[in-house]
Amino acid sequence: MRVTSGMVFEQARASAEKARGRHQEAVSKATSGMRVSHPGDDPVAAGLLAKHKMAQMRHEAIGQSLQRAESEIQAADGAMGELGNIFSRSRELAVQLANATYNSTDRANGATEVDELLKQAISILNTEVGGRYVFGGRKDNAPPFDSLGNYVGDTEKRKVEIAPGVLSDASIRADVAVKGVGGGVDALKALSDLATALRANDVSGITGALTGLSSSVEQVSSARTQLGTQAHVMQTAIGTTRVARDAEMDAFAREGEIDMVEAFTELSRAEKGLEASLSAIAKSFSLSLADKL
Amino acid sequence: MSDLLSLLQQSANALGVYRSVTATTTHNIHNANTPGFARQRANLASATATDKLGGALIGRGVLLQSVTQARDRFIERQVPRALAQAAASSTESFALKSVTALDPNGPLPESVGSFFGALRALAQHPGDPGLRQAAVGKAGIMAQAFNQTAESLHQSRKGLDAKMTGVVSEVNALSRQMADLNSQIRSATAVGVAPNDLLDARQRVQDRLVTLTGAQTVDNGDSSVNLKLPQGPTLVSGDEAGQLSTLADPNNNGHLVIRLHDVDGSAPTTLNSNAGGELGGLLSARDGALKTALSSLDTLAFDLGDALNSVHSTGFALDGSSGRELFTVGASANGAASRMQVNTAIVQDASLLAAAGSPSGMSGDAGNLQLLISKEAQALSGGADASGTLSSIITDFGISAQRIASVAEHDEATSRHITGMRDSVSGVSIDEEMINLTRAQRAYEAVTKVIQTTNEMLDTLMKLK
Repeated sequence: MRVTSGMVFEQARASAEKARGRHQEAVSKATSGMRVSHPGDDPVAAGLLAKHKMAQMRHEAIGQSLQRAESEIQAADGAMGELGNIFSRSRELAVQLANATYNSTDRANGATEVDELLKQAISILNTEVGGRYVFGGRKDNAPPFDSLGNYVGDTEKRKVEIAPGVLSDASIRADVAVKGVGGGVDALKALSDLATALRANDVSGITGALTGLSSSVEQVSSARTQLGTQAHVMQTAIGTTRVARDAEMDAFAREGEIDMVEAFTELSRAEKGLEASLSAIAKSFSLSLADKL
Repeated sequence: MSDLLSLLQQSANALGVYRSVTATTTHNIHNANTPGFARQRANLASATATDKLGGALIGRGVLLQSVTQARDRFIERQVPRALAQAAASSTESFALKSVTALDPNGPLPESVGSFFGALRALAQHPGDPGLRQAAVGKAGIMAQAFNQTAESLHQSRKGLDAKMTGVVSEVNALSRQMADLNSQIRSATAVGVAPNDLLDARQRVQDRLVTLTGAQTVDNGDSSVNLKLPQGPTLVSGDEAGQLSTLADPNNNGHLVIRLHDVDGSAPTTLNSNAGGELGGLLSARDGALKTALSSLDTLAFDLGDALNSVHSTGFALDGSSGRELFTVGASANGAASRMQVNTAIVQDASLLAAAGSPSGMSGDAGNLQLLISKEAQALSGGADASGTLSSIITDFGISAQRIASVAEHDEATSRHITGMRDSVSGVSIDEEMINLTRAQRAYEAVTKVIQTTNEMLDTLMKLK
């Protein structure tokens, strides 16, 4: 084949351009750490990167919601524990002061203590976490119990997303657990009844209040069981969400990021290729009959 | 004596011939880097013998028969198609490669993810003004990401329009030039002159026009060459040139349509479907992958906005009011991504975000938020959810970009090979020209020696007494 000067220069230009392009691409990958920077680099991976990114953010957001819900459940559980202690103490007082050895003054003092316990119970039931009343259901911006112990909150449980599109309970119904709606006892009324009987020095009334207090303890215990179950669900979901998020991050890295060893090996190869190409070009330029004549 | 004088005359002619050979070689060397130049050859022939001496015919020296170009018509016929295809694919590939709006690390995936993330955070405390404001803010960022992406794609298409305008101007100037060259070449050929340099000039213009428009050549048989655009319309016919013009197309969002005003004066032909070369590549990028991506983005914005609006309008704000849309996307998908914005009333008062599923006004009611969140995974009109649809838009665009990049690489290699073959025949080799130059120089020296010898012989004759 006849080789012209134009062909020599065109070949040199094309070779240098190609080698320089490969080198530039290798530099870009090594410095950015990304294998795919344009959809055309790897169309499927580019599409998957967007998908993995959104899925990662979805799991991250679900995880944060779960942590918030879990802290509310933990607070509710703590409050229910305190409430249980109050009812236990009230039952102890009732058992103690129902004894004939105590007089009316002793029982009046007991009544005062029970009044305080009732106030304490109402205060506990109005626990707030992050500005939300945990026992108010969806009505979370006002105390669910008034000063008389009446429930003024919502009658629905709160929900939280434990996996994409899957909702789970994240609260208990305080009207059921404390006020006995749906067949239980009104625990706060049991306390109030005890205080009234103690103040009236009414031994049979005191004995009668014991039944309500025992039921209250059971109701609170049952509520704590529900909260414990919910907390367990939250913790499991948090773990699952974290695993899912990490899997999406791994997938994102696998699809889009470049292995640095591979990146620098490629960079080194591209450098050598560019050097070789430029040397060959310089060599071919130096060979001309014009220089020899 | 007359024979010796004849020898001197023949030698003088030979010096002229070798001066012409040297001039031709010099011309080649001077144009070694001139695009479209075909090397020239001085063709020599011995002068026919007329003198008879004894039984032998005595030659009469050397003649310059012609100066011709080295061309291979078979290869040259393949060049226009190769140039046109390479120009079309590389132009389209470059146009798509320069689009960054759909890069995987672009703003859309993150903004959509952040918006739903903000709704999830709000669902855990719907009454919190800060979280409401954050959710409304993220909605605004998502709308802005749609706006920016659509605007970026739109600007890319507009940029291609601007480039087309420049190409059209160049084509019009070159077409006129080619018609003029056709005329000059025809005139020169008619009087028996080989218009080598005019042919080179026309080759340069022709190559450029082919590269710009994808036109193919048709020999007229009278030394002129016609240029026909793909699928028939004539751009150059003999010494007449058609003209291209652009016009805003209302059916294509005001993007330019290219029209050819044919040399025959007939009604203008629209070239959008039959342009090749750079023009074809620009049109293909603008009305192909870019238009599809923009249209898909509009559909996504419309479907997602519509799905969210249908839920939002049935939910309840903190004040118990209802019936508001969250996003403004318009009545149709066309242009929805550019139009998308958050309801101004909600931007001004985040308490109007309809988080609640009931009108009770309970601040912790996240019933409607949960429904809004569920729209993230709901299948849209294309069958996939928002994430899947966005992923498809990016993948489809990437496939177009990758496919055309691969075609461009192949076309570029083919074009380089064909033009290399042409260069191999028609191009100038400096080594070869140096040899030709030396050969002419040696011959010139030898002829001067002949003159010197003949002169001495004449001197000898003159001295005879």
